Amino acid sequence: MGARPGRAQRSRLVLIAAIVIALAALPFVYSDAYLLKVLSFVGINVIIVAGLSLLFGYAGQVSLGHAAFYGIGAYTSGVLAVRFGWPWIACVAAAVVVSAIGGLILAVPTLRLKGHYLAMATLAFGQIAYVAFVEAKGITGGIDGLSGIPSPSLGPLELRSAESNYLLVWFFVGVALLLAGNIVALRPGRALRALHASEAGAQACGIDVVRTKVQVFVVSASLAGLAGSLFAHLVGFISPSSFTLVLSIELVAMVVLGGMGSLAGAALGAVVLTLIPNLDAVVPGMSPRAVELLQDWNADIFGVILIVVMLFMPGGLAAGAGRLAGWVRRRRPAPSEAEA
Amino acid sequence: MSLLAVREVTKRFGGLTAVDAVSFDTHEGQIKAIIGPNGAGKTTLFNVLTGFERPEDGTVTFDGREVVGMRPHRVVRAGVARTFQNTQLFDEMSALENALVGRFPRTRTGMFSASLRLPGTAKEERLAQEEAAKTLRLVGLGDASSVPAGDLPHGRRRLLEIARALATEPRLMLLDEPAAGLNSSETEALAEVLYRIRAEGITLLVVEHDMGLVMEVSDDIVVLNEGKKIAEGPPRLIQKDPAVIEAYLGEEEADA
Ligand SMILES: Nc1ncnc2c1ncn2[C@@H]1O[C@H](COP(=O)(O)OP(=O)(O)O)[C@@H](O)[C@H]1O
Ligand SMILES: [Mg+2]
Repeated sequence: MGARPGRAQRSRLVLIAAIVIALAALPFVYSDAYLLKVLSFVGINVIIVAGLSLLFGYAGQVSLGHAAFYGIGAYTSGVLAVRFGWPWIACVAAAVVVSAIGGLILAVPTLRLKGHYLAMATLAFGQIAYVAFVEAKGITGGIDGLSGIPSPSLGPLELRSAESNYLLVWFFVGVALLLAGNIVALRPGRALRALHASEAGAQACGIDVVRTKVQVFVVSASLAGLAGSLFAHLVGFISPSSFTLVLSIELVAMVVLGGMGSLAGAALGAVVLTLIPNLDAVVPGMSPRAVELLQDWNADIFGVILIVVMLFMPGGLAAGAGRLAGWVRRRRPAPSEAEA
Repeated sequence: MSLLAVREVTKRFGGLTAVDAVSFDTHEGQIKAIIGPNGAGKTTLFNVLTGFERPEDGTVTFDGREVVGMRPHRVVRAGVARTFQNTQLFDEMSALENALVGRFPRTRTGMFSASLRLPGTAKEERLAQEEAAKTLRLVGLGDASSVPAGDLPHGRRRLLEIARALATEPRLMLLDEPAAGLNSSETEALAEVLYRIRAEGITLLVVEHDMGLVMEVSDDIVVLNEGKKIAEGPPRLIQKDPAVIEAYLGEEEADA
C-alpha cells in the first residue's frame, strides 16, 4: 500500500525485473519455435486478461463476450491488411480503435445491468459478433476464414521468425501490464474497486459511476482488440472458431483463477490456463497421447481447477502467492538489522 | 443566509408519500438534527438532498444552486457529502484507501494520465494520501489506516464513513444515524467528532435516534412523522412539543 513503501515494493520490483529479463533472454538462449509460439499465445491471452481484470476483477462488471472484442480486433487488422494493404502498425491502431468503439457500443445500453443480466447481455453480444464473423463472408471470409494476413512489419523490417514475433508480443504484454498496473495503483483504479464494492458509496464519493463503467469497458475492449490484432498477424489466418463463447468463458476463468482484484494474479491465471493444453511446449518429452488427453479434457480440467480454487483458495492464485510470501517472510530471520 | 434551503419537497413511492411537502433551512455552522419514528421519511429526505432520489415536487437549494436533478456525484462535488444508514464502505480496501476514494472530487488523475503516470500524478497522489490520512486522524482512526474496512468493528466503520465523507471537503455533511449500534463510550467519542467537524467550519445535518446525543449536540431539530414536518426548533422546545411527544408515544405503543 502507498502508505508503506519499502521492502515489499522493492522485492516486487526485483521480481518484475527478473521476469522481464528472463522473458527477453529466452529466445537467445533456447530458441525452440514451438515453445516460442505457445508463449506468444500465452502473451496474447495475458493482454486480453489484463483488460478483463480491470473490467471484471477490479470494477466487478462481468463480461462473457470478450472473445468478440478480440475477434473485432483480429478481423479489423486482418481485413485492413489483406484487402486494403494497410501497413501493420496502422492495422494495430485501427484494431484498437474499432474494438474500443465496440466496447462503447456494448457499454452504453448495458450500463444499468448487473450480475447475471450483464453476463447475459455480454454473452449475447459475443454471439452476435460470432454470427457476424461467420455471415459477413464478403469481408471476413466467413466460416472458411481470412488467410494471407502478413507478418508484422515496420517499414522494411519484417518480423517473420518465431523469435521476433515472441518478442513483439511480449513487448506489448509489458506495455499493457504497465499501463493497467498504473491505472489500478492510482485514483482511477480505486474508483473501479469502489464501484465494485458499493455503487452508492462510490457515488457518495463523487465518482460518476456511468462514466467510469463506460471508460473501463472501452479500455478493456481496446486491450482485447490489441491482442486480436497481434494474433491475426502472428498466425496469418483467422476464422470465427477462434472467437467463440468458450474462449470468453476461459478468459473469465483466468481472472477468477488468478484472483479478482489482482492484475498479476490474472496474468498468472492466463499463463497457467493457456499452457495446460500446450503443456508439451514447456515439458519436454511429454508423450503425444498425454497432450491429446489434456486437449480433449481441456474444458473439464478448467472446470475442476476453477472449482478447487473457489473452494480452497477464494482469492485465487494471487492470494495464495501472498500467503506463501508471508509464510516465507516469517520463516526468515528478522531482516531489519541485516538490511540497515 | 441559509446554506441549504428545502422547499415543499415531496417524494412518493407508488401510493405512499414518504416525504410530504417538507420545508426547512440549514444555516452555516449549525448542527441540525432530523428526528422521527421509523419510516418517517428521514432517509428518503436525505436521498433527495443528495441526488439519489428525485422528488415529485419541491426545490432544494444549496449555496444558491438547485440540487434537484443533479446526479449524486455532482452533489458531492458541489460540497454536500453524506454517510449511509447501512454503511456503504469499500470492504476490501484499507481504511486509508476508503478515505482516498473520498478525495476523488478534489483530485483529477484520470485513466489516461494514470496509465502513463504523466507529470503531476505522483504529486497529486502524495497529497491525496496526506489529506486522507489527516481525515482518518480527525475521526480517531489514525491507527487503523492499513486495516481493511471489512475487518473494522461496527463503531469504527461508522467513523470511517464519516472520514471518507470529510475527505471530499464538503461544506455540508449529512449523517444518517451515525450512532446506530454504538455503545455509550463510542457515542461519546462520536459527539466529540461531530464537534470537531463543526470546528472545521462544516455544517452538519444529522438523522439520529439517540435522543441523548441529539439533545446534546444539535442547535436545531426538525421532527418528521409520516413524511410530514410536525415540529422545528431548539432542543428544549422540541422536548416539550405535544405533537412530538404524541408521535413518539404512538411509536412505542406500536412497538409494544
Ligand atoms: N425505494 C423505496 N421504495 C418504496 N418505498 C420506500 C422506498 N424507500 C423508502 N420507502 C418507504 O418510505 C417510507 C420512509 O422510509 P425511510 O425514508 O427509510 O424512513 P426513515 O429513514 O425515517 O426510517 C417507509 O414507509 C419506507 O418503507
Ligand atoms: Mg432511515
